[in-house]
Amino acid sequence: MSSSDGKTETVAVEKRRAQRSALRKFLDFYNQQEIARPLIPFIIILVVSIALSPQYFLSPSNLKVVLFQSAPIILLAIGEGIIIIMGSIDLTPGSVAGLSALVTGLVTLSTGNIALAITIAILAGLATGVINGLLVSKFKVYSFIATLAGLEIWRAVDLTITGGSPIYGLTQYSFLMIDFHTFIPLVFMIALAITLIFWYLLTRTTWGRIIYGIGSNEEAVRLAGAHADLAKFLAFTIAGLLYGLAGVMLVATGGYVVDPWTAYGYELYAIAAAVLGGIALTGGTGHPIGPFFGALILTILTDILIIMGITQYTIQEIIIGIILIAAAPALTRGLRWVK
Amino acid sequence: MPTNANNEDNISLLAENITKRFPGTVALDNVTFDLEYGEVHGLLGQNGAGKSTLLKILYGYYRPDSGRIVIQGREVRLHNTADARKHGIILVNQEITLMPHLTVYENIALLGFLWGKAFSDFDKNKIRSQIKDLMGKYGIELNPDLKIRELNAASKMLVQILAALSMNAKIILFDEPTSPMSLRETEQILDVIRALKKNGISITFVTHKIQEAIEICDRITVLRNGKAIGTVNSSNVTEKELAEMMLGIELKGFYSVKEGWVNKAIEMENVSKVPLIELHDVHTIPIKPTDVPLRGVNLKIYDGEVVAVFGLIGAGKSELGRLLVGLGKISKGMVLYYGKPIKIKSPTHALEKYKIAYLSEDRKTDGIIPHYSVASNISASALSLISKIKFLLDLRKEHDLAVTMIRSFNIKTSSPYVKITSLSGGNQQKVLVARGLASKVKLLIIDEPTVGVDIGAKIEIRKTIYKLSKEDNVSVLVLTSDLDEALGMADRLYFMHEGKIIREYAIKPDNVEDVRRKVIEDLAQASTYNAQLT
Repeated sequence: MSSSDGKTETVAVEKRRAQRSALRKFLDFYNQQEIARPLIPFIIILVVSIALSPQYFLSPSNLKVVLFQSAPIILLAIGEGIIIIMGSIDLTPGSVAGLSALVTGLVTLSTGNIALAITIAILAGLATGVINGLLVSKFKVYSFIATLAGLEIWRAVDLTITGGSPIYGLTQYSFLMIDFHTFIPLVFMIALAITLIFWYLLTRTTWGRIIYGIGSNEEAVRLAGAHADLAKFLAFTIAGLLYGLAGVMLVATGGYVVDPWTAYGYELYAIAAAVLGGIALTGGTGHPIGPFFGALILTILTDILIIMGITQYTIQEIIIGIILIAAAPALTRGLRWVK
Repeated sequence: MPTNANNEDNISLLAENITKRFPGTVALDNVTFDLEYGEVHGLLGQNGAGKSTLLKILYGYYRPDSGRIVIQGREVRLHNTADARKHGIILVNQEITLMPHLTVYENIALLGFLWGKAFSDFDKNKIRSQIKDLMGKYGIELNPDLKIRELNAASKMLVQILAALSMNAKIILFDEPTSPMSLRETEQILDVIRALKKNGISITFVTHKIQEAIEICDRITVLRNGKAIGTVNSSNVTEKELAEMMLGIELKGFYSVKEGWVNKAIEMENVSKVPLIELHDVHTIPIKPTDVPLRGVNLKIYDGEVVAVFGLIGAGKSELGRLLVGLGKISKGMVLYYGKPIKIKSPTHALEKYKIAYLSEDRKTDGIIPHYSVASNISASALSLISKIKFLLDLRKEHDLAVTMIRSFNIKTSSPYVKITSLSGGNQQKVLVARGLASKVKLLIIDEPTVGVDIGAKIEIRKTIYKLSKEDNVSVLVLTSDLDEALGMADRLYFMHEGKIIREYAIKPDNVEDVRRKVIEDLAQASTYNAQLT
């Protein structure tokens, strides 16, 4: 009798072990697949949003809002993500995107030439990136300090060049919102395309490889003979270019109005989106597609809060902050079954 | 084997049958060590012999896998360093946490008098006078109002000793106390140690300097490859005997490294050729304060040759290696590349222009790239070889390269795409050496290729380096403090000591033992020579 008891016990234990190991297997898989990190919270927030308010959330007009609002954040997050993968930080996305939006507006007003305006705006973003890149890679200024200065200076420039007043009626940029009779606006398509391009660049080029290496162990990468400084410089430059493009998008997604405070505080959205996308602030890790989903998560979160009637900006910010704190450790370090 | 095991009452600290394993290596293998009251007991050994590991076990930093620790007749378990400090055991080493912006007496107060007390009154004058008393008692002269960052290495050590004394330390463990110090500073520290001893404090003194061990220690225990080779009274032992114990006198299978290959030194005896790299009377200025300056290095490396530079810690081997990839400042002399003087600017410049790569001895800080896969770690120096049109990675080529290297070095990994950190230490080391050989350079400099790995992996790594060097005609410069390694791998050997190349030996199958004897003599002589200078 005792033996049969023992047997059922063993079976039960084994069953429990099997169940546990299935969960463990899932967690192992989750930990190994960097792409899974942003995907899982994205799916959760999507399901929760649909469950909370299917009729509003899933309406084509709301989806279009979500997608076009996420587009500039996606670009900022990709740029920021590259920098964070290197183990650095960039605090300029908000100020630079604001600068680029203003440049777009000003050039449009004075020349009426949209192509020229967009080109100059993107070049302005690129120029700020070049400055950041030189400071960090050539003059060895800590990225936090270098870009903190940029955050202040470019915002001050924003205020100066406009004299503090907004620019209205930039409806020439409505083409960015064309949706080809779907709910997907052009800005989002551009953001998606750029996401895919950077997925490729970060995983299939020597530059991308070195970027991850710098974040992982910069000394080792240098000693291995890689062009670490060049890769760093390029990373900041490319990030600046992306912020510039995001600024152009903001002209359209912000209702064809730009003012000196456009994109104010967006550096925090960029960092939050990168972290929600599973890019650890310690560097060296994170899937290139992470920022894309991170930005979507942030946008959906704001959207659903508004749908739920929480329209107060401050409360939205508090809720986003709490979710970020809750999600970040698991996202960036991966879940640990045992410590 | 322990000379004084007869009298248990004399023993202040006993560590019995201590074994400690780390991934990929046995750091300590059944080591027994005893320390009497008021004794200075030296631990002598090469880099990686297990001295520091033993010390850290005595200080509660590591816990042994097996074995027991007895303090004053009572068996204890040291769970952490705080436990050890409660028993009056204190470790003094170079990297310890003094606060550089506080003054001497503030540091002593915080690390000594106030240690472990979260809130207590800080009576400046009382602590000051207590510190004065301690200084008087042990003959230490130090201005208590200087900031730590203004002090030299010896004075910093004195601050640590004072802090230890202020906590009534009974046993002080010294970890290579004198390695970054000048001769005069060393003498100052040794004097203080004598004073400590006179006051009944037991001291464990870890060093790799033979002469110093004989000078200061009552007894010396020699460690090699994690094993205690023997304990001797320093009054009746010679430098040569200690050097032999330290470096080992049996060779076993090491020569099979070169089996089937023609020795380059012999092959080239009658060919006059221009060396790939020649250092001509090179002097350097240290970059970091702990660097050893080179003081006249003459060295030649020919195509396809394996050259070893043998020397203990502080010989300047790493500095020599780093210099050749642009991480050094030359004050005098020159580096010739096929007879032409060159200036190497950076590791990237060295790799791309002159095809020279350097593998650091410190696997953790500047060796492995922890988030990379095994494959990416292998290809880290070979990015230009695995890419098409300059910057696009060819993952097919990378895969082939990784698979070839994993096979050559017999790296135990489930796939080339797992993270390198999931491998054991020995296999991580193999990956790094593979990185060097994958980069298809002309000269590969490997700093301590097998430190901290077990004996099996050691032989495998040495064999593969030698084989690939000969197959691909790559020159290899091995910087090592392991004489077996130097003799086993090299076609030619340089003996280096305190920034100078002392002698050069060609190693042929029939003169290995001869060279070994001469190198041991050189080492003993070099140690004596230094002692005479003081």
